[in-house]
Amino acid sequence: MKKRTLSIGAALFLVLATFHPAFPQPTDMMPESENVPSSLMTFFVTSEPIGDGGNLGGLEGADAHCQELATAVGAGDKTWRAYLSTQARPGQPAVNARDRIGDGPWYYPRAKLIDYLGRRLDRSLIKSRIHGDTLEEAQRGSNMSKEFALTEKGELVNGIGDPLPTRHDILTGSQADGRAFTDDADHTCNNWTSNGEGSAQVGHSDRIGHGNQSWNSSHATTGCSQTDLVNAGGVGLFYCFAID
Amino acid sequence: MKELSILAAILTLSGLAPCAANAQHGMPGGTPMTFFVTSEPIGDGGNLGGLAGADAHCQKLATAVGAGGKTWRAYLSTQARPGRPAVNARDRIGTGPWHNFDGVMITSDLAQLHGDTLELARLGNNLTKRTGLTELGQIVPGLNDYKDRRDTDWNYVKTTPYSNRHEVLTGSQLDGTAFPPDLDYTCDNWTSNADPDAPGMGAGPNRPNAQIGFPDRNGGGNGSWNSSHGTTGCSQTALVRTHGVGKLYCFAID
Repeated sequence: MKKRTLSIGAALFLVLATFHPAFPQPTDMMPESENVPSSLMTFFVTSEPIGDGGNLGGLEGADAHCQELATAVGAGDKTWRAYLSTQARPGQPAVNARDRIGDGPWYYPRAKLIDYLGRRLDRSLIKSRIHGDTLEEAQRGSNMSKEFALTEKGELVNGIGDPLPTRHDILTGSQADGRAFTDDADHTCNNWTSNGEGSAQVGHSDRIGHGNQSWNSSHATTGCSQTDLVNAGGVGLFYCFAID
Repeated sequence: MKELSILAAILTLSGLAPCAANAQHGMPGGTPMTFFVTSEPIGDGGNLGGLAGADAHCQKLATAVGAGGKTWRAYLSTQARPGRPAVNARDRIGTGPWHNFDGVMITSDLAQLHGDTLELARLGNNLTKRTGLTELGQIVPGLNDYKDRRDTDWNYVKTTPYSNRHEVLTGSQLDGTAFPPDLDYTCDNWTSNADPDAPGMGAGPNRPNAQIGFPDRNGGGNGSWNSSHGTTGCSQTALVRTHGVGKLYCFAID
């Protein structure tokens, strides 16, 4: 029965793909990957926060958290980076989240495996599209969606409309173009070292909230304690990307 | 199990569940509804009876829920023909702001709706799966809701109200303007229910086709609300093949 489903799906995909390589929703017809996370995974949302509010131990601490979670699900052979910016300090230039994560494209934790010709079949995140580098790219959007922004375990992140607590506020400290803020205000919980004073810019993994759809720069938190993050609609999760 | 809970949520939020009352729309004394996705298609594929037929469909559905006091327009473009200029969807719908069934603002103006600047486009508007409601207050079922292989078959879809049907006809480019006239993006300016001879999808020579978008912002590899991709043809069954039924966006101009 299952075999029949797969072969019908594969046949339909091939028919459509032959005439239109950009057939948009082949994933519905695809066999599920045997493993979760998929061996293709190069992007995930942390399933758990570090837990000390905006104090992540700096970028290093955040990267280590990505690496640790990836390792726990068998994806530790890749080099993982947290999608976070830091702001300029005297003698220390700003760091842009988009410049830390390699070039992509990136595949999500349930990315389907490879077809008989060795082609990757699944949707991916393209750097210029997720940041809307051109007006057309920004207007059209990207694959980043609630169903794409899964944890390293392949699970959905609770968002608007799901059981509380909402976990969709994702720490980024970044502007919509993926770069660090350049004003004097704090947008990074003091470069990810504060669990009290300050504020962090967050995006929404489900693309819902605050009247916009930004995955990386929707609004600011009112403080940097773990409680402040929870009050704003998150728990301190962040995005992790593999650079290799 | 997860599907069941999602289904339950849709039914509850959509007014399909018992005791959800149509009369609640627009919140008493609150902001009146000036935007909705049609709960039902016209049903003849891409033949809507032209812009006039589509507008009348919006007006009829609005009237049925007590919102007929406003002037409703379908968000559709038509392409230029000899002696007839193109019509841009964005020029038909007034100036906003527009609010949904719940009184939630979808967007403040045309510029935010379409993302006219880089900054606006990156942030996006407030049209989401949670706000892209029908005139009955229903969420439009999309990908991952009640997944079933048969949801590309019109005979199944027309009797299964919660199956995926998230493609909305627009015939428009990302900026809300009409496509150039050479290829069909509007089912011959919303008068055709024809299908192409060859299988495939999207615009091409001798290919009846309509450009669509997603109110749930999920599909086509981009999630564009108004210009994600094309269809496999203009018949009702062709629209369903890629998860549409011929729904329209309706905006009040007053």
